[in-house]
Amino acid sequence: MSQSPTQPQTQEQRVQEFVAEFQQLRSEVRKVIVGHDDVVAHVLIALFAGGHALLEGVPGLGKTLLIKTLAESLDLSFSRIQFTPDLMPGDIMGTNMIVEDETGRKHFQFQRGPIFAHILLADEVNRATPKTQSALLEGMQEGAVTSSGTAHPLPQPFFVLATQNPIEMEGTYPLPEAQLDRFLFKLRVQYPALEDLTEIIDRTTQVREVNVSRVMTGPRALAFRELVREVPIASHVRDLAALIVLASHPQWERAPEQTRRFVRYGASPRGAQALVLGAKVRALSEGRYNVSVEDLRAMALPALRHRIILNFEGEAEGVDVDRLIAHIIESAENLSAAEKEVFLR
Amino acid sequence: MPDVTVLKAAVADVSRQIRVRRAEFYGLRGLFGGALVALLPLALRDSLGWSGFLWAGACLAAGAAVGAAAGYFMRLPTGEAARLADRGYALQDRIATAIEWADRPDRTPLVDALVADAVARVEAMRGGRIIPRRIPREARFVPVPLVVGIVLALAPAIPLPQGALPSMSGTRQEDEEKMQERAGSLESQDRPNAAKREEARRAEVQERTFGPRAGAGGPSQPGDLSAVFKDTALASQSSDFNAFLKKGDERIRMLEQIDRLPDLQRDFTQSQQRMVFQKAKALKGGLKGDPSYQGDLNEGMEALEGGQSDRAMEAMERALNKLRAMEEKGRDGKSLRGGREDERRSGRRGERGPGGSPGDEGDWPEGEGSLPGRGKSGSPKGDPSQRLRTNPFDVGVEGEARAGRKDGMDTNLVGRGGSMPSRLQYLGVLGQYRKQMEEDIVREQVPRDYHGQVKDYFKALDER
Repeated sequence: MSQSPTQPQTQEQRVQEFVAEFQQLRSEVRKVIVGHDDVVAHVLIALFAGGHALLEGVPGLGKTLLIKTLAESLDLSFSRIQFTPDLMPGDIMGTNMIVEDETGRKHFQFQRGPIFAHILLADEVNRATPKTQSALLEGMQEGAVTSSGTAHPLPQPFFVLATQNPIEMEGTYPLPEAQLDRFLFKLRVQYPALEDLTEIIDRTTQVREVNVSRVMTGPRALAFRELVREVPIASHVRDLAALIVLASHPQWERAPEQTRRFVRYGASPRGAQALVLGAKVRALSEGRYNVSVEDLRAMALPALRHRIILNFEGEAEGVDVDRLIAHIIESAENLSAAEKEVFLR
Repeated sequence: MPDVTVLKAAVADVSRQIRVRRAEFYGLRGLFGGALVALLPLALRDSLGWSGFLWAGACLAAGAAVGAAAGYFMRLPTGEAARLADRGYALQDRIATAIEWADRPDRTPLVDALVADAVARVEAMRGGRIIPRRIPREARFVPVPLVVGIVLALAPAIPLPQGALPSMSGTRQEDEEKMQERAGSLESQDRPNAAKREEARRAEVQERTFGPRAGAGGPSQPGDLSAVFKDTALASQSSDFNAFLKKGDERIRMLEQIDRLPDLQRDFTQSQQRMVFQKAKALKGGLKGDPSYQGDLNEGMEALEGGQSDRAMEAMERALNKLRAMEEKGRDGKSLRGGREDERRSGRRGERGPGGSPGDEGDWPEGEGSLPGRGKSGSPKGDPSQRLRTNPFDVGVEGEARAGRKDGMDTNLVGRGGSMPSRLQYLGVLGQYRKQMEEDIVREQVPRDYHGQVKDYFKALDER
């Protein structure tokens, strides 16, 4: 483990440490997870950006394993909740119980639920009822749980990784748009390529013991979160982020044709925050001290795909949100360039 | 504060490159515009002489110079130049971010690291041209005006149309003299009170030929107005401008003879009056009766003889109204109402006594009173319905059966709608009424004693 961030360091050293530990975390996860490099990177970016991530993919792709491995590589507490339709909010948050002290007097005591962990795996989050989902999402947003009028702060860093199955909709409660917005990123776990699949077979069907090292502590993760927010961003890059978010709104007068045709609701300001914060982490993870346009392009998909709601025509036409976002980015860049003189484009 | 001098120098270098490229770009555009303008002095070389070449060259040079200067001095924000420098040197927005954040009061410690990193990267790079040259679309078409210009320069000068246009600025004195000369012989001597025409200014035209042209239908006589309108077949004639002007002069001269122009208004009025007088005379001779309308007729005829058309019209209208009233009075019992309006108004029903009713046998034989075309009824319509209670005689219908059997009834509205003649679709509605009657009888909405009478009524209608 690296030196403590409290020791006097230059900024360059801090950034280099971040880059090193970021790469180390990826390496540790790679020991267990085959492929999914982008998903792993985005999960780590969400961790250091201070947000939560929703992983979507068909069963058996290693979503849960990925998160468990990440939790093992971080020196942080971890809990897992398997969401079911009969799960109640108290099962997540905890409840007041009558306990008897040494003198025999009885009193209520709050028994903390599984949400009180640094890393929380909410497996198949769309199987719980909206009431239970709301309890979790409230904790994600507020960073605290309130029970009987008493607020119980959640441990920091608090990082929720939820999974959901996109195709099996029977007996599920899809997260509403407002609650989806609470997740910084929505990551799509794709089916592995041929090489990755053969590697998975080799790794999992042979006797092989994999030890995952703990490479980062909680305070260090928090320090890196602060460092991320110091990353400067140029005004033209920031303006492009705003243009991308605005271009996802069909009501905007300069919105591209595809947006007007297929989108019902565009990304919220939270989407712009997610875009820029993700871009900052990405820049820092690459050893850069500033955000570039490429960072925005790379972060646009995970940050915006769950915030753009298609309309009926978009759903009927089977419009792929990722392709739509790519088109929106291109349109936003063209819009930005169109206002400039030919040599400044 | 971090030193960004190196970065600013790099940006200045990029700015200079951009300005040069802009000067080239807009210089080519200006050259194209100048080449187009240069064609004009080359085309006018006949009048400009050798200076046409100079003007053409000057246009070319000025277009290119103005374009280049405009491009070079065009506004170039530092941030944009820094952004282009980043792009040109593949520095991922390091320079732009560093320059922007270096002077900001809210800069973070990471900005210092950023500036140092950017400076190190810029210093490590060799300066080169990073702004590509751009060729404007117009530049592809520059050869076209240049070739045209060369052709114009080598070809003989284009002759401009010679000869002066007719002078339109003749002096007033000359005009007056010509007018006097023109009008003096033609103006009628026996019209001392004729209004003097406003003098029209005319263009001075030289070398006129006043001889008659062939094919013009023979010479026209002065004062013959028909000649003004007859000879319009100019298209069939040769384009003799002088002859055209001459003919115009003749027409104007004829139009100046006011006393020979026909007084169309007077003619028309007299003929109309004559006709009205004859009609009134015939009417007076053919009709006898109320002398009051004859007095009006006489007054109208006197007024016509005296030329007082307004008074005559008023008198005639009065007489006509009286005649109409007489005619109305003469049509007793012929309207569809089956009775006279004045009789009804004068309370003839009242003469039958307070207990009198349309069904009283005192006025008509039994079974005939309410049948159409049989007997007479003082009030065949009965009492007014609720809808018409306010003014039952506001609108009425009168008319006569048309020729032919059961074809229909020509009706005339009297009252408010009297001005709009209408036709009652008699056969169209009769069937509906009969059906309604049968239904009403079945529903016992008609008193039992009247069933036979109602049925007879419709039977009588069928027989008509």
